Amino acid sequence: MTLTTRLTLMVLFCLAVLALAPFAGLGGIDDAAIREHILTQIRLPRALFAFVAGAGLALCGLVFQAMFHNPLATPFTLGVASGASFGAALTVLLGINISLLGLDAITLGAFVGALGAISFVYGISRLNYSFSTETLLLTGVATSFFFSSLILFTQYLSDVNESFRITRWLMGGLSISGYQQLLQLLPVVTLSAGIIIWLSRELNLLMAGDDIAISRGVAVKRVRYLMFFTTSMCVGAIVALCGPIGFVGMMVPHICRLIIGTDHRWLIPASLVFGGGFLILCDTLARTIIAPAELPVGVITTLLGGPFFLWLLVRHRRQTP
Amino acid sequence: MIEVQHLSVSLQDKTLLADIEFQLDKGDYLVVVGPNGAGKSTLLKAMLGIIDIDQGLIRYQDQPVTDFSQRQLARLVSYVPQSSGRELPFAVEEFIKMSRYAHQHALSEWQPDDQQAVEDAMRITNTERFRDRQMSTLSGGESQRVMIAAALSQQTPIMLLDEPTSYLDPHHQVEVHQLISRLNRQLGITVVEVSHDINHAGQQGQTVLALLEGHSLWLGPGEDFLDKQLLQALYQQEFVFVPHPRSGRTIALADPL
Repeated sequence: MTLTTRLTLMVLFCLAVLALAPFAGLGGIDDAAIREHILTQIRLPRALFAFVAGAGLALCGLVFQAMFHNPLATPFTLGVASGASFGAALTVLLGINISLLGLDAITLGAFVGALGAISFVYGISRLNYSFSTETLLLTGVATSFFFSSLILFTQYLSDVNESFRITRWLMGGLSISGYQQLLQLLPVVTLSAGIIIWLSRELNLLMAGDDIAISRGVAVKRVRYLMFFTTSMCVGAIVALCGPIGFVGMMVPHICRLIIGTDHRWLIPASLVFGGGFLILCDTLARTIIAPAELPVGVITTLLGGPFFLWLLVRHRRQTP
Repeated sequence: MIEVQHLSVSLQDKTLLADIEFQLDKGDYLVVVGPNGAGKSTLLKAMLGIIDIDQGLIRYQDQPVTDFSQRQLARLVSYVPQSSGRELPFAVEEFIKMSRYAHQHALSEWQPDDQQAVEDAMRITNTERFRDRQMSTLSGGESQRVMIAAALSQQTPIMLLDEPTSYLDPHHQVEVHQLISRLNRQLGITVVEVSHDINHAGQQGQTVLALLEGHSLWLGPGEDFLDKQLLQALYQQEFVFVPHPRSGRTIALADPL
């Protein structure tokens, strides 16, 4: 099968998921008007929103994996999502209310938190030339713990209602998504995807190592800063709107790599499409599995992602003794 | 062509290179030798803009290296890095094609002259046979030839190579060295090669730069390099010298004594 065929099949799969997901769990509602309302005003925007968020998460995961030469490096394993969560929680707690370029205060807070976390992890990783996978992941874990405790601290300072809202939000959910949230997220993810697609060749060369990339003509420092900025913006916007939804950015690019190969000119569109479809699937599962109640989608992705992470870790260790 | 003046590089208070000077014309072949940690790889990385220069100047074609963008530099100087052991997740031809980066733009199409450069590079290095194989399946000698092909596809007048034969068996060492001297003599590529092979360095028609603890210990023509005192000072090791039975050329051997 050619690459084009494989990519086309992935696109078709995701379109099918997008088209069918809104109908899942509609049984028992006979009134046509109510059905139509649920489908067009609740289910469809939710599916579209899940698609955009999933695409963005997969995109950021893919960029991290290439940038750190490591299949386990994602915004979540390296503590960047925790940084974003803390930024968002702090903005809520302090009641900051500014907006910039159409982005609200929570999004901006999450963006700053993400940027802070990634600068920290990257700074640590540059201290030592012989920086191993294990050290990188441990730095990420430490960063996660650090920001988690800061989030606990903001919760401690909040009243019971706010604290409960923060807790639910931290589980990662799409239940409040409507057209408004979709319109907030879509431009950010589109812009991020555009920038990363523009940098496809650079990502390919970065996979071969910094020295090779530089000697082939890539301005590695500048490219890296641009990628940090872009992924922080994207993760920030997603986290602000639906909380940290873990492991999508790890699983999706990895699965796509198995299907599509390592060329980012193909891998980026594949990850965007498959990330979107994957999150719709997870969300559909999350809201039907214990219906009429619903699980936060982050619970599902983390339940799938934990074992996946361990599998990758074991495999990675075996390949690089 | 290449001019290095008073070059100094340090990293967190540690001096890696101090006051290095040399000049090369088009078609010259410089071999950089010295014990481990002498600053040989650092010199190449400074010449590529991978690490920053503290003092001094590196000039290509009379222009300071800092005047070039990374992309412009990559059309002038190519690089074959030391074997890192990193597994490259690409097919051979794919990897060589990626090295055309400096000749392309973000959304530009693959041009006939790009393909021509890749084909030429593969033909010269005799790597066409395994163009579809994964890099991870290549032997040491094959892999090194692919790395040279990738550098060659950049079509640069200057090529820097960091220990291109270090991990190869004798047959493949000879093969790779013959390849490099072909690039140097037939294509007129200016070569700077880091090497631990002193007998290779001591050949006619090459220049040798001997580095010791970041300083330039000796700079001169290859045929003068195989000198007892010089090698003793450079490697802290006794050497004996014998003529090559067929060519009569002097060969140096480390004497364990």
